[in-house]
Amino acid sequence: MEESEDVPKDFIKLKSEKLSVDEVSELVVSPYCGAVSLFIGTTRNNFEGKKVIHLEYEAYTSMAETEIQKICREVRQKWPSVKHIAVHHRLGVVPITEASVIIAVSSPHRAESLEAVMYCINTLKASVPIWKKEIYENEYSWKENKECFWANSEK
Amino acid sequence: QVSVLYFAKSAELAGLRCETLSVPREITSLQLWEEIVKVHPRLALIRDQVVFAVRQEYVLLGDQLLVLQPGDEVAIIPPISGG
Repeated sequence: MEESEDVPKDFIKLKSEKLSVDEVSELVVSPYCGAVSLFIGTTRNNFEGKKVIHLEYEAYTSMAETEIQKICREVRQKWPSVKHIAVHHRLGVVPITEASVIIAVSSPHRAESLEAVMYCINTLKASVPIWKKEIYENEYSWKENKECFWANSEK
Repeated sequence: QVSVLYFAKSAELAGLRCETLSVPREITSLQLWEEIVKVHPRLALIRDQVVFAVRQEYVLLGDQLLVLQPGDEVAIIPPISGG
């Protein structure tokens, strides 16, 4: 059986089920790559002294996927040797310590995939229409990323 | 007639997630905001924190002239917090 050319691919998924690090890293593994870099965003149990019960995420799904595709294109322009990119983001309720986002990038050598992963998460936080609500014991709060250029940051 | 989509805090203040609105075909983004606030006055609370996404491109509230087609999607985008 002939090996496929291993054409670079972007794997983008927004889903409400639990995310799997194994699944995401296996998507980007390639025989041509010596490096797979990974970022996992997990939910913390506290914010400013308040106990966080869980997080809830919602998204403008069609635009979020398009914006993540734009990020993948930018990554490939900046780091042409990057092979595969996978971005999985969870929607709905995410319990404490579970992953809300997993990003994996493969490249022949490690520098590019490490830099590309950082660029992906930083840019995602600045431009992808996804919202997080922190649920505390008696109240909740819609969070605002400091990277968001139109948010008021008078806090 | 455009489809207006509400997310996060804006959906809570408006009390709904989507509706169709009749607006002029050519309108500035600020005028569009004002039309929407007429229907949902509580949205005025977040006026300084939102942008629009018109046909899935971000647009600041201001003088930018929008040329809208029937069925276009206009989304109210509060400050994002993905990742």
